[in-house]
Amino acid sequence: MAQPIVKLNHVSKSYGDSTVLKDINLELEAGKFYTLLGPSGSGKTTILQTISGFTSVDAGDVYFDGQRINELPPNRRKVNTVFQDYALFPNMNVFDNVAFGLTLQNVKKAEITRRVTSALKSVHLNGYGNREISELSGGQKQRVAIARAIIMEPKMLLLDEPLSALDAKLRRDMQYELRELQQRLGITFLFITHDQEEALAMSDEIFVMNDGVILQSGTPVDIYDEPINHFVANFIGESNILNGVMREDYVVEFVGKRFECEDAGMRPNEPVEVVMRPEDLTITTVENGKLVVTIDTQLFRGDYYEIAATDDDGNEWLIHSTNSVPDNSRVGVTFAPNDIHVMRFNESEEDFDARLETYETDD
Amino acid sequence: MTKRFKFSNLYLLVVFIILYAPILFLIAFSFSEGDSMSHFQGFTLSHYSALLRDSRLIIIVLQTLLIALLSSLFATIIGTLGALGINQTSRTITRNTILSFNNILIVSPDVIIGASFLIFFTALQLPLGFSTVLLSHIAFSIPIVVLMVLPKLRELGTSMVSAAADLGATNWQILSKIVFPFITPGILSGFFMALTYSLDDFAVTFFVTGNGFSTLSVEIYSRARQGISLEINALSGVLFVFSLLLVVGYYFLNQYQQSRKLKRTTREEDIL
Ligand SMILES: Nc1ncnc2c1ncn2[C@@H]1O[C@H](COP(=O)(O)OP(=O)(O)OP(=O)(O)O)[C@@H](O)[C@H]1O
Ligand SMILES: [Mg+2]
Repeated sequence: MAQPIVKLNHVSKSYGDSTVLKDINLELEAGKFYTLLGPSGSGKTTILQTISGFTSVDAGDVYFDGQRINELPPNRRKVNTVFQDYALFPNMNVFDNVAFGLTLQNVKKAEITRRVTSALKSVHLNGYGNREISELSGGQKQRVAIARAIIMEPKMLLLDEPLSALDAKLRRDMQYELRELQQRLGITFLFITHDQEEALAMSDEIFVMNDGVILQSGTPVDIYDEPINHFVANFIGESNILNGVMREDYVVEFVGKRFECEDAGMRPNEPVEVVMRPEDLTITTVENGKLVVTIDTQLFRGDYYEIAATDDDGNEWLIHSTNSVPDNSRVGVTFAPNDIHVMRFNESEEDFDARLETYETDD
Repeated sequence: MTKRFKFSNLYLLVVFIILYAPILFLIAFSFSEGDSMSHFQGFTLSHYSALLRDSRLIIIVLQTLLIALLSSLFATIIGTLGALGINQTSRTITRNTILSFNNILIVSPDVIIGASFLIFFTALQLPLGFSTVLLSHIAFSIPIVVLMVLPKLRELGTSMVSAAADLGATNWQILSKIVFPFITPGILSGFFMALTYSLDDFAVTFFVTGNGFSTLSVEIYSRARQGISLEINALSGVLFVFSLLLVVGYYFLNQYQQSRKLKRTTREEDIL
């Protein structure tokens, strides 16, 4: 692997008694779109600030482009930030806001004009240079903030929940635009969100955080299909999580029945948790079902029905189906072995990856 | 509805008459022949010409203005820096303590401040006069400036400062390009508050001024004790018209700026 552009090495940070970052290790490759995903207060902004320089770490090292930058002040770091509240300068118009970083470097007027124009163009704000900040909508302010950061041509852009203040429609548009911008510029983006759909849609790689710890990192598909524990499974998308027992390799028992699965490498009869995504469950006739459930309620979600059901043992199930099913009817539910994902209790990410290595090589 | 409207107008009128009657009364007598305010005795401008010939009084007016300008200038500089410092303190206890000390100075009676300055200056064996008046005016104006600037700093918050640093600004550049432009309205109102406080001040100046130096309020007070001469009325008239012109000028300046801003935005909308 090429030299990472950012590397956090055993980074810790506390405020008073509360430890906000606990032994964070993280490597970011150049040119990728990374997302930090986690609930409020999990330490996402703090990680971002250790990279931008607004937070000093208590222990550990921060590397940028191979150099240790723990002591480097923010104004000398080659990263730029898009702040959650935009932080535009109200005493300057759009042009001067975007030009701010360049004017500090005494860049020539003509050059500034050229670069501001092109930065505004890349966020689709051509011709807005003379506007005052107070005359912009939320989405436009957001774009100005992005233009102001990318005009510095940073190797890396840090974005702290840049879309959280936008309405749903604009948010979706901006997701496309940001992703497209990142690919066009070819620079590394580290994007913060607490919206899992946004993270899944935009990222090359996601870091799922909770309580100052990175629980899991991986591609959106990996994290969605193979969450490492209950928290990740619950946080990323909706899921059915059940207690079970791993009888032997590739055989797991839950709701009192044994099922074939694709997980292995655990102790025989080890207690585990089983995750099944609602969209992997298929409704069929009672005879063909691996399980039999009674439909409780269903909600129409536009492209699918979200169905809540209960099986004969009283376990609740969430099923996504394209077809409506009558309430209170008894139906069968079926799934394939690879729709079952088995999670061990308290397994670390390294152990998880190592275990996958042992049996996934043959596929 | 119309009845109530009339009543409120009437109320306003009465209040203004009560507020302005003494001043107008005073000014009216400045045109009176004779030496006292007991009877109006026919029109004359003699008191105004006496005023113009009274070089002592004119010098005192100039001294008062000089003290006011200098003291509010220094107080604005010191107070603004102080506000920046207070804003930097991260611990709330420290900040609140400093702020309380600041407010005590504003609340405490002028007489006490004046007396304590007098004791202080005599203990230091400073000769009383211009410098002591200037120092004490600077001192009592600083808390006012701090109080006017701090809210603007609060409003500025941290994220704009962070954004500037993020874009490569040094501390000085942050201060000069982001912080100062943002808090300038606060600084200006601090300056003008300090100016009026200094012009107004009687009690503190009365204590700390010495022989050969006086400000207008102290001078008027000492003349009034010997029975008021109508020259003072003439001076009041001049000052009143002067402040009236200032207020009117300020109003038109504001109007002008607003209409310019409005014009510019409409012009931009035409372009876009
Ligand atoms: N300056 C500070 N002083 C004390 N505690 C702080 C400070 N900054 C952050 N914290 C604490 O650190 C924890 C992590 O904060 P952080 O801002 O990194 O969370 P976050 O994941 O960005 O949350 P959000 O999604 O709400 O922005 C929180 O519990 C917060 O209270
Ligand atoms: Mg945050």
